[in-house]
Amino acid sequence: MTQAPLVSFEGVVKRFGSYTAVQKIDLDISQGEFLALMGSSGCGKTTTLRMLAGLEAPTEGVIRLSGQPINDLPSWSRDTPMVWQSLALFPFLNVVENVEFALKMRGMGKADRRRRAEQWLDRMQIAEFAGRNISQLSGGQRQRVALARSLVVEPKILLLDEPLSALDAALKVRMQSVLKNLQRETGITFVYVTHSQSEAFSMADRVVIMSRGKVEQIGTPRDIYRAPRSRFVADFLGSSNIFSGELARDAQGRPTIVTDSGDFILPGVGAPGIEGQKSSLTVLDTRMQVHADAPQDVQNSVAARMVGEEFTGATATIYFETQSGQEVRVQKTHEELAGLDLQIGQLFHLSWSPSDGHLVNE
Amino acid sequence: MRRHVSLYGLTVSLPLLIWQLLFFVFPLVFLIALSFWTVRNFRMQPDFDTVNWITMYGRGIFWQAYATTLALATMAAVLTSIFAFPCAYAIAFKLPERAQRWAIMLMVIPFFTSYLVRIYSWQVFLSDAGIINVMLGWIGLGPYGLLNTPGATLLGYVTLALPLVVLLQLFSLIFIDRTLVEAAHNMRCGRLRTVFEVIVPSARVGLVIAGLFAFILSFGDFVSPIYLGGGDPTTLSILITDTTKSGQQWPRAAVIALTMIVTLMIVAFLSIRFAYRGRK
Repeated sequence: MTQAPLVSFEGVVKRFGSYTAVQKIDLDISQGEFLALMGSSGCGKTTTLRMLAGLEAPTEGVIRLSGQPINDLPSWSRDTPMVWQSLALFPFLNVVENVEFALKMRGMGKADRRRRAEQWLDRMQIAEFAGRNISQLSGGQRQRVALARSLVVEPKILLLDEPLSALDAALKVRMQSVLKNLQRETGITFVYVTHSQSEAFSMADRVVIMSRGKVEQIGTPRDIYRAPRSRFVADFLGSSNIFSGELARDAQGRPTIVTDSGDFILPGVGAPGIEGQKSSLTVLDTRMQVHADAPQDVQNSVAARMVGEEFTGATATIYFETQSGQEVRVQKTHEELAGLDLQIGQLFHLSWSPSDGHLVNE
Repeated sequence: MRRHVSLYGLTVSLPLLIWQLLFFVFPLVFLIALSFWTVRNFRMQPDFDTVNWITMYGRGIFWQAYATTLALATMAAVLTSIFAFPCAYAIAFKLPERAQRWAIMLMVIPFFTSYLVRIYSWQVFLSDAGIINVMLGWIGLGPYGLLNTPGATLLGYVTLALPLVVLLQLFSLIFIDRTLVEAAHNMRCGRLRTVFEVIVPSARVGLVIAGLFAFILSFGDFVSPIYLGGGDPTTLSILITDTTKSGQQWPRAAVIALTMIVTLMIVAFLSIRFAYRGRK
């Protein structure tokens, strides 16, 4: 049984003068999901969110909310509360007045709205700051006020525009779990704009990767991580090694890719593409094996010289360079690397199974 | 936060301090001293006599003029603020940046012409045979006595203060964080309601200070009550000129001037406290 989507973008285009910020987006967001719109700055993710909030009007296409077209609905007539990057809390109101604001605009009585606002402050664990000015709060507390202010109307959907980008790293991680739990408990659809892969991948049910106003890939974090669909996505995620070359077949007729670093056998699954076509093979850095001597029983291997290493907690990232000058990155736990004498400048052999490779479009 | 006075800070602020000392504090001290001098045979002589204070404060005309001036200046501040706001709002929020610069330029132009000239040109409009009455005559109305009325005085005050108030309001509106306006819209606050719920509170300090300037300018103005109000009812500024002209009563004029200064100080203090109320 498929439910009708809560939000759908149908061929939505946004142009600012001669600049096209969003080109033809088709996207369905279902009730109760946590969707992240991710991409580097200028990719159109914020514009997409702002169109949903009614702060920008689409140039072409239709945006629907619960099936109804909302293109011409002014932002004050839709229930799409948003949390801004700057939080946009009202400095002339105290904490509880900020949270009450949306209820006041809906004409709720003073006593009722005060009670509702206090419930949400309590839920966000900032009840003790109700009477404070915004300027007297820390970054994390302000964050919670902004969330309470948007959620107090108990909307179907909450839009978040990089709300955590101003916080320090530790607080960011804490707020991520606050957000994720809140979303799960309330069942409210979250549409979360971020440039941070770790934020998107740790919280979202589905991630939309955007580039230059277009959707590059939509999928669960796991699917995107394992099988980036385009070279752009693979590059953007930065966790895969990318070998570019031409499609071919080897002596046994197996599909291969001919690259400057060597010929590699492709995964059996998926369309092999046309021979002679330019393509790229991606291999996750955690899926590569390091050998001191040339391995015999593997199908894909490449000789590479070690050029650097980087330790981050439990794992190490080792950088290699193939004879053709391509950088290859390998991420391993310290146990996995235990038997190897890792010296910069030394020659190693890197291998991977064909099934760990993914073919992506140029 | 407590700041220490540095040599640099002192060097920068010293000229202003000296200026203030020379041209505000010393004259003020002199004015205070003057108000205790006495006048004998049309000549002032240094003295310490409270007679001027008792005489002036004992006169009904003084309190009448005081009430008139206070009321007219307050009305001028309120009216000017109300007239100026839609204009400042439109420039700040509705005009593109290029047009904004032109609008600011146009707002500065009134300062190029003498205030006196602007007041005289109002006479051309308001007098019994003036433009307004002639035009009303075409449709069989009037003539109305528009000149030499408190309304005309008020019009002069607004003429004096309006360009400055628009500019001051504009500069406080321009710096409002636009995401606050968007956030209000996002929470079902319509356009007009946003003006009162978000824009006015955000710009409160600037708006109050703009109104305060309108009050200060009108409270001390002499031109408008004379040339448009016809000196009736008398304002404090007119009372000062009358007092100095009649029998060299400079010490009594000093009493009026000091009363005006104290009034302005109280009004300024109260309005600034109101503007910053609830802020940390």
